[in-house]
Amino acid sequence: MVTAYQPRIIGFLCNWCSYAGADLAGTSRISYPGNIRIIRVPCSARVDPLFIVKAFQYGADGVLVAGCHPGDCHYSEGNYHTRRRLALLHSFLDFTGIEKERLRLEWVSASEGKRWSQVVTDFTAQVAALGPRAK
Amino acid sequence: MSQPIRDKARELLQTKKVECVIGWERATDGVTARPLFVYDIKDVDRLIFDQTCVHNLSRYLRDRKDKTTAIVAKPCDARGINMLLNEQQLDRQKLFIIGVVCQGVNERCWGQADARQQERCQWCRQHVPPVYDFLVGEKPASEPSAPSYPDIAEFEKKSPEERRAFWEEQYQACIRCNACRHSCPGCYCQECFAENLDPTWVGIRIAPAESQIWNLVRAFHLSGRCVDCGACEQACPVNIPLMLLNRKLQKDGIDFFGFEPGLSAETAPPFATFKKDEKLEGGE
Repeated sequence: MVTAYQPRIIGFLCNWCSYAGADLAGTSRISYPGNIRIIRVPCSARVDPLFIVKAFQYGADGVLVAGCHPGDCHYSEGNYHTRRRLALLHSFLDFTGIEKERLRLEWVSASEGKRWSQVVTDFTAQVAALGPRAK
Repeated sequence: MSQPIRDKARELLQTKKVECVIGWERATDGVTARPLFVYDIKDVDRLIFDQTCVHNLSRYLRDRKDKTTAIVAKPCDARGINMLLNEQQLDRQKLFIIGVVCQGVNERCWGQADARQQERCQWCRQHVPPVYDFLVGEKPASEPSAPSYPDIAEFEKKSPEERRAFWEEQYQACIRCNACRHSCPGCYCQECFAENLDPTWVGIRIAPAESQIWNLVRAFHLSGRCVDCGACEQACPVNIPLMLLNRKLQKDGIDFFGFEPGLSAETAPPFATFKKDEKLEGGE
């Protein structure tokens, strides 16, 4: 029996917005692909680019970073820093052969359970389309 | 060019303005240069400057933070000083900068008089140090133009698969001697992530996967800070094109944030600041 390729995706979720948003998706019984492994972080700015590179080294096919919408950060300005770092990392990883499509930054608030499921569904499909990462 | 440097160094030491002058001298192969620390006036005449002076001497300044020091600085070194000043690593009051006008330096080859000029120097626009107290050499008439990155544009033409294969080969070669880190003026953390044991970000085994994380994160930690001096690449014993990684980040730093490191000690680097309403590409 041939099983379809299932990508492994690591999600770094900010505790205050996106993690609560994902929780809302759960309590609202909204379903989305189970390829994502969620790691809760205090703020999206806690996501050191090192974590992302390490996730790829350990065999992740995609990495999703989600935080509060700009302006809504629990720590006032963490996500502005994330935005800058991720923009640079995105282009840098692509330069070294880890495709742009494997890394995504999303803003998901605590009330956007529906949107969270949409984001995960889209991103999983996008990563799955790329196929497994060459080792 | 060496004579005015020597005269100035002698004057600074004689008047006790500084305790030490950092510069270059001829190495024992008679061709290349090596760093020289002059504490005594009798050694002043050993100082030289020419296209063989490749090391970035700003690397040594943090160790002399509390002592008065003069440094012979080509544009790369001076940019390193600006970067360190911005990060509050140096005391400008204790520092005297003998700037030298530079037309490019050679690749580091032991005993080879006909070494090639470094590639990055051919694209360099910054021939005058951005900061100095005393300038040696003729200042060119025109102001420096915008930097260009033909090497990056060329590399980006490759497919992701080709790029991956190219870097895979480089990681394979890396012996993780950390020479890149030790030659870099920007790599001064007391505790580097590479030595962290819990969690072990960079494993002890010599394997491409571990070298990948070292090389990528090393370069990324220098984003918005790398002054394009090429010291890491010159120090690399296995010739990994480290400047390709660094220059990619420099180019993006300019494209995304309009920032070029080391040109001034006052401007905040891109990761120390942000704009609330900027639109950045990042999958967002």
